[in-house]
Amino acid sequence: MKIDIKNLNIKKAHDSLVKGDYSAIDLTEAYIEEIKRTNGDINAYLEVFDDALESAKRADEKIAQARASDAKGGSEIPLLMGIPCAVKDNILIKGHIASASSKMLEGYHATYDATVISKLKEQGVIFLGRTNMDEFAMGGSTENSAYGVTKNPCDTSRVAGGSSGGSAAAVAMNGAIFTLGSDTGGSIRQPASFCGVVGLKPTYGAVSRYGVMAMGSSLDQIGPIGKTVTDCEIIFNAIRGKDHKDGTTIDEKTYENEGAIKGASAKPIIGVPRHFLGGDGIDKAVLGAFNDSLDALKKKGYEIHDIELPNISYSLLVYYIVMPAEVSANMARFDGVRFGLHKDGKDGIEDYFKSRRAGLGREVIRRILLGTYVLSSGYYDAYYNRANAVRRMITDDFKKAFETVDVIATPTAPSPAFKIGEKTSDPVAMYLEDIFTVTANLTGMPAISIPCGIAPKGLPIGLQLTARHADEATLFRVGKDFLGEL
Amino acid sequence: MITEKELEHLAVLARIELTEADKKSLIKEFDSILGYIDQLKKVQISMDDSARVGAVKNAMREDSAEPASAEDRERLLNESPDREGNFVAVKKIIAQDIKI
Repeated sequence: MKIDIKNLNIKKAHDSLVKGDYSAIDLTEAYIEEIKRTNGDINAYLEVFDDALESAKRADEKIAQARASDAKGGSEIPLLMGIPCAVKDNILIKGHIASASSKMLEGYHATYDATVISKLKEQGVIFLGRTNMDEFAMGGSTENSAYGVTKNPCDTSRVAGGSSGGSAAAVAMNGAIFTLGSDTGGSIRQPASFCGVVGLKPTYGAVSRYGVMAMGSSLDQIGPIGKTVTDCEIIFNAIRGKDHKDGTTIDEKTYENEGAIKGASAKPIIGVPRHFLGGDGIDKAVLGAFNDSLDALKKKGYEIHDIELPNISYSLLVYYIVMPAEVSANMARFDGVRFGLHKDGKDGIEDYFKSRRAGLGREVIRRILLGTYVLSSGYYDAYYNRANAVRRMITDDFKKAFETVDVIATPTAPSPAFKIGEKTSDPVAMYLEDIFTVTANLTGMPAISIPCGIAPKGLPIGLQLTARHADEATLFRVGKDFLGEL
Repeated sequence: MITEKELEHLAVLARIELTEADKKSLIKEFDSILGYIDQLKKVQISMDDSARVGAVKNAMREDSAEPASAEDRERLLNESPDREGNFVAVKKIIAQDIKI
């Protein structure tokens, strides 16, 4: 039978696999065929794995076994058994290349599985391939990939967003049921917004980062991208949890006193920082779609309150100090000695200089140098220490707002997808893309982007919802209600 | 706002070789980025938070070596650009003048 992958979600695919409408091999082949048809234009995938069909075969065997031994007809089969996905190129899958879209790691083979990968493998997920990204996750458009830009499936003259542009485009072009991305300042949510799909950045520490290439260690999180909020919820629950291999992971008790929404029957109250949405930098269509979304939520019975976040306008400044500082430390490991590209100089020290210049792209070098600058003697107090103090002030503002509301709504990005090349010559213009998304990374709070409208020319617009620490449940609840998934 | 000499010093600290063309464009980009983040200097810092602790606590583990399988060792060594037996090979470190 022809599988309708355009309208597929995890639950539907699972039911069909259990019933035997089609096999995991059929499903995997359907996706690989679609990738072959569309990826030449889009460049979402860097590689389609040649072992995907073998994994599908193993999934089919397990489904057959479970069906044979289970009187209830396969109710023991894990929900994700045989479900095809794709993974951002900075997440390690043992034996496969993980290049972070950099020349530095062009032929690097992962020597172990990331924790998120082990968890998905246990459930029988199929890994179709690895997806394109901005080099080492630094960028907002996937234009910084060493392997070519990822184009937006909705309009191929435009970017897919970034840095998880390949992961968002793969879902939007029907090239995978779901994908994994990483989010340091909006890198899951902004491309999800640009491509018209759903993307979640979980609470800092909710998902283990063991086996994921570090960018900004106090900011990074792994999260799912899918077509529905329900699919993102399923994947989040599959990959979350404390991991002794990542000391920053949290447990159930970490945020028990922060007070999630009281009582499941109460309707979450939505807060809007109006004072932050009046700038010239916000596209009219984005603001229009945002206001329409609030009206739609009001009609569904949600209370909408104006809130004040007095220091939110400093978020981007703080981010562009803290992030490069952490980048400069994390990127020190790429020295051409233990792994990655090596270029010979006249001595060991010169090897470093030549290897790093040859292996790293412009934006990565720019951020390493900027981070070195803000951390260097004489500037540390003026930049890094100050940024950390303001970061705490911003977090306090959010905590205070969450005393009266349960969810904070903003647009995900200030504009719909922009033209390829439009912002490459001006780093600050590119950085402004992150204005609404960086706050969730600075505060560590969970945030989701859900499609909420279409701008002229058919470009998707995203609505961002932020909740208290560890309260992803409220994001899923409001998100599903908004998209009519309940 | 940043001089060529300062930029060269940063590049030495970060171990990155810069060409003349790199330097030219980086100085321009640094001016634009620093002009932006310098706004932080105007923010009134309202709190003394030297005694604050976050919800996330430090995680400790035993400082002990874990045995690796021969297969894992082989995999790791094979990723190094240059190996000799079970060692990662690097150039001689001493006996040269190093200018930093």
